[in-house]
Amino acid sequence: MKEKEQMKNKTGYIMLLIVLGLYGILYFVHAGKTLQALEATFGVFKTVAPILLVVFFLMAFLNTFIDEKSVAKHLGDDSGFKGWFIALFGGVLSHGPGYIWYPMLQELRKKGALDGLIVAFLYARSIKLPWLPLMISYFGLTFTVVLTFYVLVGAFVQGIFAGKIMNEAKKDR
Amino acid sequence: MPRNVQRLKETSLQTFKTLQSIAPMLFAVMGLVGIFETFVTPEMIHKIFNAHAIHDMLLATTAGAVSVGQPFLSYIIGGELLDEGISMYAVTAFILSFVTLGIIQIPLEFSIFGARFTIVRNLLSFLFAIVIAYMTTLSTSFLSGYFS
Repeated sequence: MKEKEQMKNKTGYIMLLIVLGLYGILYFVHAGKTLQALEATFGVFKTVAPILLVVFFLMAFLNTFIDEKSVAKHLGDDSGFKGWFIALFGGVLSHGPGYIWYPMLQELRKKGALDGLIVAFLYARSIKLPWLPLMISYFGLTFTVVLTFYVLVGAFVQGIFAGKIMNEAKKDR
Repeated sequence: MPRNVQRLKETSLQTFKTLQSIAPMLFAVMGLVGIFETFVTPEMIHKIFNAHAIHDMLLATTAGAVSVGQPFLSYIIGGELLDEGISMYAVTAFILSFVTLGIIQIPLEFSIFGARFTIVRNLLSFLFAIVIAYMTTLSTSFLSGYFS
């Protein structure tokens, strides 16, 4: 497990070095735009930092007060309708870029949450409540309502498919 | 109660270590987002479409997966594409894949969830962007015709 963790760290540092290298090369090709890209990155960081803080507290809370038993009960094999409800509406209500939520979702997975529910959560995130009025103004109310409905159904169906595929893969191992 | 406080301290430290271990990858992804936001312009996305429904739908899904930014950007680009005669199927697929797929965050997803989960989720999301785009456009035109 520790080796896996170290490997994860190593991959992260390699990836960061590649990105820094890319910035270096781009700076020589197009200095002005590269500085703009750096500014954009800083903008992303400013957006993400407060959400990351929320995720940090949620993860700490989760690890302190919620044990494997209760995760299994609410998001595990026997969670049923309640599990899907939590995954879909949690996804709709969650804020910020999806990758911010990955560590917390992986913690839930480790504690017994179903893969299908995690996939459904991530897909339901495509409904962005604060942006719905803008979507209505661009594409109309009918389109927005229909798309929202199909995304919720799609997240549920995708979760079922993903769960089945992942279960089959686990059985084969 | 003190036991819980002690546990909270321990888990906070553990959580901090988890976040610390993914921090380099997280910063790398943010760096890539900055590059894509600056160097991949909406004009570039416009240029790849040619008004053939299936071709455009597949391309739109891929373009959405490669693009990054706030969701409203996909509505603005989608609106412009519609004005230029690109099909609603393609525009819907673009809007969906813009928020559900992310090529540049795949390394992070891979390192946290593992290869199998990442591949299954992304392939399904690609497929569902196309299916949902098709169903949404058909249903919307049916309902618009019914209510008008």
